[in-house]
Amino acid sequence: MRFLLMTAVALLAMTGCDSTKPEPASINQQAALTGQLPYNPLAWKVVTSWTNKHDATMSTLYGNDAAVAYARSTAGTAYPAGSILGLVTWAERDDPHWFGGKIPSTPQSVEFVRVGETGQPEYRLYRGSPLAHTDAGADAPNRIAYITTQRAAVMP
Amino acid sequence: MKPSGSTRIAVCAAAVFILLFAALQLVRPRIENPPVTADLAAPLEVKQILRNSCYNCHSNETQLPWFDRLAPASWLVANDIKEARRHLNFSEIGNLPAAQQKATLYEVVNQVQLGAMPLPQYLLIHPHARVSAEDLAVLKDYLNPSAPPAAPDDAAKATADTQYDKWIQVSSRTLTVQPELNGIAYIPDYKNWKVVSTTDRFDNHTLRVIFGNDVAIRAIAEHRINPWPDGTIFAKTAWAQQVDANGDTRSGAFIQVEFMIKDSAKYASTKGWGYARWRGMDLKPYGKDADFANECVGCHNPVRRNDYVYSFPLSGQQ
Repeated sequence: MRFLLMTAVALLAMTGCDSTKPEPASINQQAALTGQLPYNPLAWKVVTSWTNKHDATMSTLYGNDAAVAYARSTAGTAYPAGSILGLVTWAERDDPHWFGGKIPSTPQSVEFVRVGETGQPEYRLYRGSPLAHTDAGADAPNRIAYITTQRAAVMP
Repeated sequence: MKPSGSTRIAVCAAAVFILLFAALQLVRPRIENPPVTADLAAPLEVKQILRNSCYNCHSNETQLPWFDRLAPASWLVANDIKEARRHLNFSEIGNLPAAQQKATLYEVVNQVQLGAMPLPQYLLIHPHARVSAEDLAVLKDYLNPSAPPAAPDDAAKATADTQYDKWIQVSSRTLTVQPELNGIAYIPDYKNWKVVSTTDRFDNHTLRVIFGNDVAIRAIAEHRINPWPDGTIFAKTAWAQQVDANGDTRSGAFIQVEFMIKDSAKYASTKGWGYARWRGMDLKPYGKDADFANECVGCHNPVRRNDYVYSFPLSGQQ
C-alpha cells in the first residue's frame, strides 16, 4: 500500500504538484536605487552596516577605494582627500525565505560625504522615489559627523 | 470446469506473492522508543502542534499506524525515523544550550514554512500531520513575541570595542588560516567583493553582509541566478548585534565568515556547492570532520529549487 502511495508521490513530485513552495529566486527589485545619483555606492566596497529598530530601516555604508582603505586601517574620522562615503538606507521587510530575518525593501535615502582637495567634507542627500537631491539644511554637519564616525566592521 | 492454464499461473503467482509478503513480515526492524531524557519545554499549544506534526519521527515517542508497520514499508520508515532523530530529537533537545534550542525551533518553522517539513510524501499518507497556517502563526508568535527594542548592552559594547581596537592595529596583516575540513582554502579577498545583500537576523541577534565575487555580480546583472553559474562564490559575514544609545543596532563583534562555492562537478556530493565556515578572530575551520557540509546542505535544502540559495540579491552593482 505504501509503495503504491510512494509511486503516486514520486509522480506528483515529477509533475511539480506541491502544496508549499519557497518564493522563486529573484532579484530584490524593490530595493533598487532609482533616480539620478552622482555615484553608484553599490559598486563600492562595504565599510559597515546597521539597522534601526525604531525606524525599521537597514543601512549599509559603502566607500570608494580611498575611503575604505582609510576606514579599515585607521580608528579616526579624518578621511583623506578623495574619499567618498555613500550611506544607503532602506526600509526593512521580512525575508520571504527565512522567518527570523529582515532584508532591504524600498530605499529611504542615499547620503554622500565627499572629502575635497581642501580636506573639507561636503554632504549631499537624496530622498524620494525616484531618489532626488534634497536640501539637508542645517542638518548637514550632524550627518557628516554621524557618517564619518561609523567604524569599519571587523573582518579578520 | 477445470481452470485454464493462465488462471492457474495467476493463482500461483498470487499465492507466491502472499507467502513472500508474509515472510517479509518476519524480518521486521524494531523501532525502539528510548527514554525521553530532556523533552522540549514549551507552552502546551506549541507542544501540541509539534507532537501532532513532528514527534512521530523527531522524538523518542514514535507511534506508528498499522500500515507503517508492514514490510517493506516498515524498513523505509525505520530508516526515516533514525535519520530524523539524528537531525532533531525533541525528546533530547533540552540537553542543548538555550540559544541552540531556539535556533533549532527557528529552523523547524522555516522548514515548515518552505514546505520541506513534514516531508511531502509523509503528509500524503499522514494528512493529519499537516501544519496549518494558524499552527504556523502560533509557532512564530512563540519564537518572536512582540517586545520593546533591546536596550544598550555595555558588556557587548566592551567586547566589540576591544575586538575592534586590536584588529584595526593589525588589519593590514594577512592571517595564516587553516583550510576547511573538506579542503576548501580560505579566501581573504572576499571583503573587497561587492555586496549582494544584507540581512538583519533577529532570530540569532546577528547582522550579516553577503558578498559576491565577480562571477556572482555578473550573474545578477544578467539575471542568471537560477542556477547560479559555476565559479560563483558567496561570502557571508556575521557580527553580533550591538544596540547603542541612539537606538541603532550596529555590527558588533565579528562571529564568522561562511562561503558557498559553485562547481556542479567538483561539489556534486553537496548539490553543486562547496561549503566552508571559519569562526572567531583566529578563523578556526568549522566542524568535526568533512561531513560538516551535510549540515549546510540540510539547512539549504528547502530552497533547492532556487539552487540552494536563500538570498534575494540587490542589483545595480556593475
